[in-house]
Amino acid sequence: MPNPALVVRNLTKTFAGTAALNSFDLTVMPGEVHALVGENGSGKSTMIKILAGYHRPDPGGEVVIDGEPLTFGSAESSYSLGCRFVHQDLGLVATASVLDNLCMNTGFPARWGTIRSRLARREAEEDLARVGLHIDPRTPAGELSPALQTGVAVARVLKQDARSPAKLLAFDEPTARLPVSEVEHLARIVRQVSSTGIAVLYVTHRLDEVFEFADQVTVLRDGRKVTTAPVSTLDRSRLIHLLVGAELDEVHASAAALHPEHGEPILKVRDLWASQQAGVSFDVHRGEIVGVAGITGSGRETLLGALFGAAERFAGTVHVGHQLLRPVRPDASMAVGVAYLSPDRKLNGGIMELSARENVSLSDLRPFWGFPWLRRRPERAEVLSWFKRLAVRPGDAVESHLSTFSGGNQQKILFSKWLRRRPEVLLLDEPTQGVDVGAKVELHRHLLAAAAEGTGVLVSSSDVDELLALSHRVLVLRDGRIVASLTGADLTVQAISHQALAADESAGEERLVASWQ
Amino acid sequence: MAVTKRRITFGFDRFSGLYLWGLFILIFGLWEPHLFFTASTVHSVASEYAITGILGIAVLVPLAAGAYDLSVGATVNLSTIIVSQVQSANHWNMWLAILTAVAATFVVGLVNGFIVVKLHVNSFIATLGMATIIGAVQSMVSGSSQPLPPTSAFWNGLTQHSIFGFQIVFLYLIIIAVFFWWVLDHTPAGRYIYAVGGNAEAARLSGVKVEKWTWLSLITSATLCGIGGVFYASLSGPSLTFGASLLLPAFAAVFLGSTQIRPGRVSVWGTLLAIYVLATGVTGLQLITGVQWLNDMFNGVALIVAVSFAVWRQRAVASGRARAGWRARSIAHTDSGHPETLDGSAEELTTNGLPPQVPK
Repeated sequence: MPNPALVVRNLTKTFAGTAALNSFDLTVMPGEVHALVGENGSGKSTMIKILAGYHRPDPGGEVVIDGEPLTFGSAESSYSLGCRFVHQDLGLVATASVLDNLCMNTGFPARWGTIRSRLARREAEEDLARVGLHIDPRTPAGELSPALQTGVAVARVLKQDARSPAKLLAFDEPTARLPVSEVEHLARIVRQVSSTGIAVLYVTHRLDEVFEFADQVTVLRDGRKVTTAPVSTLDRSRLIHLLVGAELDEVHASAAALHPEHGEPILKVRDLWASQQAGVSFDVHRGEIVGVAGITGSGRETLLGALFGAAERFAGTVHVGHQLLRPVRPDASMAVGVAYLSPDRKLNGGIMELSARENVSLSDLRPFWGFPWLRRRPERAEVLSWFKRLAVRPGDAVESHLSTFSGGNQQKILFSKWLRRRPEVLLLDEPTQGVDVGAKVELHRHLLAAAAEGTGVLVSSSDVDELLALSHRVLVLRDGRIVASLTGADLTVQAISHQALAADESAGEERLVASWQ
Repeated sequence: MAVTKRRITFGFDRFSGLYLWGLFILIFGLWEPHLFFTASTVHSVASEYAITGILGIAVLVPLAAGAYDLSVGATVNLSTIIVSQVQSANHWNMWLAILTAVAATFVVGLVNGFIVVKLHVNSFIATLGMATIIGAVQSMVSGSSQPLPPTSAFWNGLTQHSIFGFQIVFLYLIIIAVFFWWVLDHTPAGRYIYAVGGNAEAARLSGVKVEKWTWLSLITSATLCGIGGVFYASLSGPSLTFGASLLLPAFAAVFLGSTQIRPGRVSVWGTLLAIYVLATGVTGLQLITGVQWLNDMFNGVALIVAVSFAVWRQRAVASGRARAGWRARSIAHTDSGHPETLDGSAEELTTNGLPPQVPK
């Protein structure tokens, strides 16, 4: 029996009197893929940060890596004992080549101050081969698919270092930014790495991945370990139950109970042509939740933006009720009752340096404005009431910068920014991306409540489970066209993937697959 | 103004300028009580820096919307030359002259806005180019020779009239400051401007008319320069070069001011505080030493020291007690997990002491 790659014993970390991690134990064997799952705030990030030497835990705990104790608070100790980390933000320079990215931290092989380019390339190819990648190291990193980029980041941290060989690779939510179709590619990287005897600690909140990659799973809730179990002994609903209890099922049941109105549709799209759309037509009725599915590049990611006016449209009409929506005019779309939650909250969703209050109220300042003052008291009160309604944590921090909230809470804040306008049509682009299961349940519940009040909801998501749970009807896009509209018994994961991929693989997909041979 | 809980400190960070000001007054007051502690020093410092203050606000408005206006120096100078030239050489009526000067600067703002908004040129480059063009226009107007100062008593009285011992130009500054404080902090317009400066695309998707506010902020900036230029001409007489020498102090004050009161955000009171703290320091040192190069030296050093201090403090707050290496640091950047929010140390490294708004 070899030494365990990682043993964590009785680890506790308190922040300002609150235990983010509470007498936590964990054992990971070499070559094992161990998933660490939990909502945001459950302590999994704290765990990883202790492991990386960033946080110093409370006295009394210990972390042992392959028989050697970790010196807490020391990133150097963590590295020299063989811990390696891949973060959600991969830290690749998109414009630089894969080779340059690989050598960025460790330096290039050089003689007389000149890079030995042939040697550098050979080394880079070896590094990539170690994670099962066979790509040209001269390719700019930004041109690779997200999964391959993750692979490059893995290759970088696993670069051979004779003094301290890698023993444990920790992924910190690597797939928060990966479309479903690419997760499989990441799975291969993970398996390749674990087959060399390196232990993999995989932090995620996507449950599919747990079943896809992991041997063992540890569930965290409120800083405590709920259980550790072999993945083979669990099923999906059991795991969800361990994470949040039975709440999710309840939401799904209530989605089915909603009855959309018939008659005049609230959103009418006719022959829409835009950057990725080639003649899309569909309707959404009041109280109806319509899902949009499709692989990356199918037109799914840009459809909602084109409707709302975030991106250009070339031809076609969009009506809300009897009002025609003008292209590229978000303000005009809002005026007729459309709300749009953009897919990337850091890039174009929230304004990170403004307070949560300012972010929420920005969508409509009229209720607070009476010459000569923008009245802060009612504004604060309204934002506080939304914080309460959506269970934003911390619940009174309406004056804190948006950037200080966790991902799920940021999303709730942006949700409330749109819900407070009581929109007629709600366009949600990846509404629960990077959001933990608990917050997801909360967001879904409010989405259903909006639909129940007669809002027409259009949800575009790469999370097929989410679409299945929420939607009355799912539109599947492929190559810019709607290829299927699935309802009732036809609405299954298999039907969606079948329609989304169909017979003819796109050229891009083929290239991607080819690079794996 | 609401203050988050964790900020209940002595305010050494948010109000460091005020403490520094008090310190300056104390030191110079004790050192040179007869020269420094006089009403006339207060009055002269107040009015001498009033134009810089107006220019600071002119820089601040577009900066809040994320646009740099580097043409303020040239614009304020143009206004001074126009208003003097048409009065002394062409014998225009004073009000008509003022109107012409301000209208000319309004056009400058209009053009700046057009280049930035419609031609999508980076504001830094657009206004830098504009500044050079304005320099050329100024030479056309003045023939490169300094116009004679207009001589009517009413013209001088426009700014040199005194109220409570202060020259009235200081009162104008206060009025302008109060107005822009109101606009930026207490009207929807201010919210939109800060939103555009914070994240233009997110603002646009929230229904904010980004182009309109960017354009308006640049027009406001140039027009304020026009008004400032008229005051300068009345106060000190025409000069062909003073504008350029006010450009950097105005920017320095805005940046310094963004470390005050509400750190990370440019603000009217922060800007004025910065201007008068620096002015007090410079005046005091000059009274004591009598050397001329102090002004530039002091302003430059103060800017760098104050902003470094703000950066250091933000980093200290953000990383807690950790002196972590790059591996750990990259974690801190990527993760948005809760623990930080609990102990309140997750203030992000949003700025390097400067306002988060970057030029477009």
